[in-house]
Amino acid sequence: MKTLIWVAAAGLALAACHEIPQDAAKPYAGKEDVKPYAGDRFKGDKQKFEQALADRANYENEYLRTGDAKQ
Amino acid sequence: MARMKFICDAERCIECNSCATACKNEHEVPWGVNRRRVVTLNDGVPGERSISVACMHCTDAPCMAVCPVDCFYRTEDDIVLHDKDLCIGCGYCYYACPFGAPQFPQAGAFGLRGKMDKCTYCAGGPEENFSVEEFRKYGRNRIAEGKLPACAEMCSTKALIAGDSAVIAKIYKTRVVTRGKGEELWGWKTAYGGSDKVSDNLGAKA
Repeated sequence: MKTLIWVAAAGLALAACHEIPQDAAKPYAGKEDVKPYAGDRFKGDKQKFEQALADRANYENEYLRTGDAKQ
Repeated sequence: MARMKFICDAERCIECNSCATACKNEHEVPWGVNRRRVVTLNDGVPGERSISVACMHCTDAPCMAVCPVDCFYRTEDDIVLHDKDLCIGCGYCYYACPFGAPQFPQAGAFGLRGKMDKCTYCAGGPEENFSVEEFRKYGRNRIAEGKLPACAEMCSTKALIAGDSAVIAKIYKTRVVTRGKGEELWGWKTAYGGSDKVSDNLGAKA
């Protein structure tokens, strides 16, 4: 009987020691966002949108912008 | 699919704070909330380094993992945004974020916190694009205009660059391999006329 109580107590004490997965993907609970390329500017053309951003990003490269240095 | 990221070149940042100013101005960010700020190490000591810090739009974002109301989401372009209508201002994201990005406006007396505010990568939030509501809650939506974040585009030395991770990594790589050299440096040809007029003649004169 005593052993049984010890086993039950140990089981109870260790019950909180298991690892809960913390990296499980949680669903977003808020409002759905509108796609950035959905408006009048890109009219749903994702490729055109990504190209516009890539052009803009490349404009940050002064080596390319001015053609001032060897690539 | 693009993965929109920031990168700050500590070799170029001159702590001018134009990024923080551009952000404040673009989104009319209230007093006490700093979506972007410049951090300087060894300030005043020769060799000091500055870096512009905001939300890094982490691929494995800790804020998303800890949010008890699941108000964070990721756009197609890997920009981490949140729904302010859902946020309860608990501050868990602030403790989880390694960059100190989440900001909390004072919402009343006794240090009462308002809803979390952070860098949106100038991509607005879950409201209709260019709507008054979107601007009021999240600021201007430059991404939907086909523009990059104002902080990066305003950066005077182009220390802070934004864009698709592949593109900005290439820009940074070009800088790093060119840095510390002579004629390859940006501006050399403009100022000195190129290698055929400078270094080629150096040998002839000697």
